[in-house]
Amino acid sequence: MKISRLIGIIALALLAIGRLSAEGTDSLNVEHENILRVHFGGTWLQDQYLSPLRYNGMQVALGNEWWQPFRHHPHWAHVGQAEVHFAWMYSSARNNLIYNLDVSGGWGAYYSWTWKQPRLQLLLGPYLHLDFAPRMHAREVNKPYSMDIAADVCAMAGVAYCFGAGKVDFRLRYLVRANLIGVDFMPDYWESYYELSEGVKGQVRCSGMWNHRLLRHELTLDIRCPHSTWRIGIAHAYLEYGKDNIWFSREQVEAVVGTCFRYRIHPSKAFDVW
Amino acid sequence: MASCTHQFDGVYDNTPVGNFECLWQTIDQKYCFHSEKDVDWQAVHDYYLPLVKGLNQDDYKGLFDLMDRMLDTLNDGHVNLYSDFDVSRCEKWYDGYPENFDWDIITSHYLTDYRTAGGLNYALIDSGRIGYIYYGSFSSGFSMNNMYYVLTEFEDCLGIVLDVRHNGGGSLENAYRLASTFILGDTLVGYWQHKKGPGHDDFSELEEMWVRKDDMLSKWLRPVIVLSNRHCYSATNFFINCMHQAPNCLIIGGRSGGGGGMPLSYELPNGWLVRFSSVRMTTTRKQSIENGLKPHLRVKLTSTDKDDIIDKAVEIIHYAYESAQ
Repeated sequence: MKISRLIGIIALALLAIGRLSAEGTDSLNVEHENILRVHFGGTWLQDQYLSPLRYNGMQVALGNEWWQPFRHHPHWAHVGQAEVHFAWMYSSARNNLIYNLDVSGGWGAYYSWTWKQPRLQLLLGPYLHLDFAPRMHAREVNKPYSMDIAADVCAMAGVAYCFGAGKVDFRLRYLVRANLIGVDFMPDYWESYYELSEGVKGQVRCSGMWNHRLLRHELTLDIRCPHSTWRIGIAHAYLEYGKDNIWFSREQVEAVVGTCFRYRIHPSKAFDVW
Repeated sequence: MASCTHQFDGVYDNTPVGNFECLWQTIDQKYCFHSEKDVDWQAVHDYYLPLVKGLNQDDYKGLFDLMDRMLDTLNDGHVNLYSDFDVSRCEKWYDGYPENFDWDIITSHYLTDYRTAGGLNYALIDSGRIGYIYYGSFSSGFSMNNMYYVLTEFEDCLGIVLDVRHNGGGSLENAYRLASTFILGDTLVGYWQHKKGPGHDDFSELEEMWVRKDDMLSKWLRPVIVLSNRHCYSATNFFINCMHQAPNCLIIGGRSGGGGGMPLSYELPNGWLVRFSSVRMTTTRKQSIENGLKPHLRVKLTSTDKDDIIDKAVEIIHYAYESAQ
């Protein structure tokens, strides 16, 4: 299978996720929550295909996330996410640079247990995570590129606690996601990208906790003021995969700032800001 | 998480010994011609390590020179060490071989009034009966339009002399594209394989390499004589290998320089880059092309006022034409 075809499948899946998120909009009083987020933080990389060295640097990201209950099953809700990260990292000698662009997205559904006193919610459900992260080594000539491509079925869990202070409501939420099984792109030990341009036969493999480990968790505080809702938080993600004598790892720690739009969706598809 | 994560090894210190060990192990595990070169790489390590240990910590030139000498034992023109102040190179692979090339003779007697299309310098020779192309580097590309106009210029010629002497290589894509001008259908031209593991003999299965008929729409099916010498290296060497599969093609001149491994690169802790042969290429008979390819006819440049190899090519084309009549 050519790399271009694999990327095309992932892009179509992302579009399908976007379409799925629009499903169920024809019910009364369905509350839709949409968060636009900006991330800034540090990143650490070891890509043994590109370099034997560890790289570290900074990254920025833009993301969008949405939450919405299912029409007939209010204990169930679905969540979607799309993010674009850009990182620039230096070697320990600070004389070589790697650029990393990460486009990721996903869709999940969770079941929630909610208690009114205290205002606590537990979440648990599956999540499909798609990841495409090409990288470029700035000084390499003969082998400058590498990339992470994966589709993972993850388990997602979380806990949220709501409390108020005066006219302001707060929601403190912790979410964690870890992969269970999926597929990823894994070139042979020293296979050139020139050969890979001829086809990726044998390089797309079944992945799981035994050869591909993804953990992402975040702690966020939503601050609901009378006319707007803001989010601040911290997120940590760790990815590690490989086989035999070549391994990759990517770790990110980021501060998150976002703004939340919440509205109810009617069958006429006119939105009322709520 | 930490207890079930992979333990990354091979992270070296940015010291002379750390950089040396990184370089040695990179070649040991990723270089594809250990068996062809017949070099005891462990013995090379054992010889140079004490010399590296004797260096001052900030003697970067001394370290570079020792690494250069170590890499030179491989006798591989595709092995280079790149730093901000120097690039190591091996030139032994053409020592002892005749040059068989004189650019002054070519420009004064053959390419006296030539045109340039992309990277192709071309002219009519032998009173307009033979087309001559000099292609100096496979790093210089050319398009289908370029080749169309070159072949249009030669449409009344009996044959083409395609001179790639002293062409040190470049892009494999250009080599495929040029070869496809002279090959009618999809043609198997060789095999390649990459390292699959750190052992000297850990290779993938042989994968076929094909020249496709649609890579170049303009075709030339009359005689073509390719001129080669020892300075034909890397992509040029691969091109000559492809032309062994072309009908109506003869290779004359000298043995090509080799360089039958696609080079890839890796970095050292101090930021230097080492480039080395990593993907091994072979003929259709699965023989390595690292040591070069023999021509069909060995011809030497002996005159000082003419190019004997070009003249021999002209003679062969005339002979082929008269034989066909």
